[in-house]
Amino acid sequence: MNLALLRDTLEHALSVEEDFPRLFYATLFSRHPHLRALFQRNSPGAQQKMFAQKLTAVVDNLDDPDWAQRELSALAHSHAGYGVTKEMYPWVGEALIDALRVSCGAAWSSEAERAWQQAYVAITRAVLAVPVEATPTAQ
Amino acid sequence: MRIRPRAANRVPHLVLVWSLDEPDRLGEALPILGPVCIGRGGPQGDDPFPRATPQRMRPSRTVARPPIASARISRRHLLVEPDGAESVRVRVVGKAPVRIAGRLTMDGVARSGDLLSIQNAALYMVAIRPVELPTLSSGTTVEFPFAAPDPFGIVGESEAAWRLREAISFAASTDNHVLIVGESGTGKELAARAVHGLSTRRGQGFVARNAATMPETLLDAELFGNVKNYPNPGMPERPGLIGEADGSTLFLDEIGDLPERCQVHLLRALDSDGEYQRLGEARPRRSSFRLVAATNRPLTSLKHDFLARFTHRVALPGLPDRREDIPLVLAEILRRTGHKYRHIAVRFFEMRAGEIAEPRLQPDLVARLLLHPFTHHVRELERLVWLAISTAEADYIGLTPDVERELRDQIEPPAVDLDGFDRETLARALAENGRSPTRAAKALGLKNRFVLHRLLKKHGLTPSSDDDGKEGSA
Repeated sequence: MNLALLRDTLEHALSVEEDFPRLFYATLFSRHPHLRALFQRNSPGAQQKMFAQKLTAVVDNLDDPDWAQRELSALAHSHAGYGVTKEMYPWVGEALIDALRVSCGAAWSSEAERAWQQAYVAITRAVLAVPVEATPTAQ
Repeated sequence: MRIRPRAANRVPHLVLVWSLDEPDRLGEALPILGPVCIGRGGPQGDDPFPRATPQRMRPSRTVARPPIASARISRRHLLVEPDGAESVRVRVVGKAPVRIAGRLTMDGVARSGDLLSIQNAALYMVAIRPVELPTLSSGTTVEFPFAAPDPFGIVGESEAAWRLREAISFAASTDNHVLIVGESGTGKELAARAVHGLSTRRGQGFVARNAATMPETLLDAELFGNVKNYPNPGMPERPGLIGEADGSTLFLDEIGDLPERCQVHLLRALDSDGEYQRLGEARPRRSSFRLVAATNRPLTSLKHDFLARFTHRVALPGLPDRREDIPLVLAEILRRTGHKYRHIAVRFFEMRAGEIAEPRLQPDLVARLLLHPFTHHVRELERLVWLAISTAEADYIGLTPDVERELRDQIEPPAVDLDGFDRETLARALAENGRSPTRAAKALGLKNRFVLHRLLKKHGLTPSSDDDGKEGSA
């Protein structure tokens, strides 16, 4: 996994004026409007901040197996509780990479695209591998 | 309570005054003792310098905090090093652009009081602070959350705020009378309540009255009480403030507005161990009251022998004297507002798990408020906050044209030495300029008329008062 490239592109996306987290949710909800129902407990601004913080923390700590196991396990349980299902993960991945591509502009590359796709698949596998019982509550 | 002498070792710190992602970390400071790296997360293998560690600084206890976690700050964003005693050199190596004192830069010097803004992520203020806050030798409580109001409602983590708490605590530890001195809006009643709340009299009700609002003809009756039907038929019996405050604390605000005659009467009660007489009553009474008085007037407005009875004086710092605290006071004002008015919270605050969370606050507004020469301090800050809320056109609290207008021309602190102006000079400038504050301020070389108003207030003058020895109303 090209961690340096992941971190560099994420920092770039987050540093631009056009808010990358806002773009991510706009992209996700435009393609899958029914997902809005899962994000009712937080205001959009708070949700976007939480998303940026969590994504940054994951990318910052992917080289720390203990952290990754602990946090991704917690993420699996919380997402199951919010009603996130297995088929939603690819939708989120597509919206994430599309939003990153737009936010990075000229700084984006096919190498970055590959790095993010590989990382997202690895993260999703780790999350889905955690045994959880879904008790849906709106996020 | 005593504190040790002021620590000599003062160094530049970057104090967090606004953060998009970590608004709960306001007031944390990054000490710049030598060259440091500033960025998100812990140390990186190829850091050229050690990482600056955020700290929550309190007397006798400085707590290291987790690394910066803001997603919008690069893992290595700034290289910062001391540049003389009161400034730092900042080199930008991260992604988001940086402004120092409003100027976009990749390599610059930030001086004490300058603001360092990392675009859309964080705003820091350069403050020269001791490496550690002076140690409190006893009692003052530090057991309340960092940056939150203390048990008496005083907000602030600056050195000035802690010195104030120490002065209050010391005054409260004795039974002597206390004079609180501070400009309007600095929190005189809050300080008086804190003195009472920390004293052995705290079990009794706090008696408070503004001396300026008492009708002059009824002052004695207000203070000392009266028997029934005295001085006029139909008058009910009243214990008077001194009687009410028996065993407790009597707080008289605006004591400088008390006529000399009344000061003499009050002085008699202070001198005779609380002995006083109700109006219309021959027998003396005794009240074990402690007087806490406050004024925003020059101390010359008090009779010198009356003034001498106030063994303790507590001087309240204004907001310009503790700029690092402005974001904390602002956050507390907004927190209270959001919790009191649901419609404001819904529009201007984030919600987390259905609860009111942080306000959406524009950093430009915070930056401008940090440079504002407050004359009415917390009251003025509250007014500006309400102005920003009431004139907002979007769902955030920011620098609206109305707020901008209020703050205009007040950005730069005056370059002239304000202590160099005496009462006579100010009065003469006003007289020679047709009593126009704007023209007088210009003639004196002041930045604007607001600075002049502050000086006039300090000397007990108003634009319309003559300097014939009388006090103008503050």
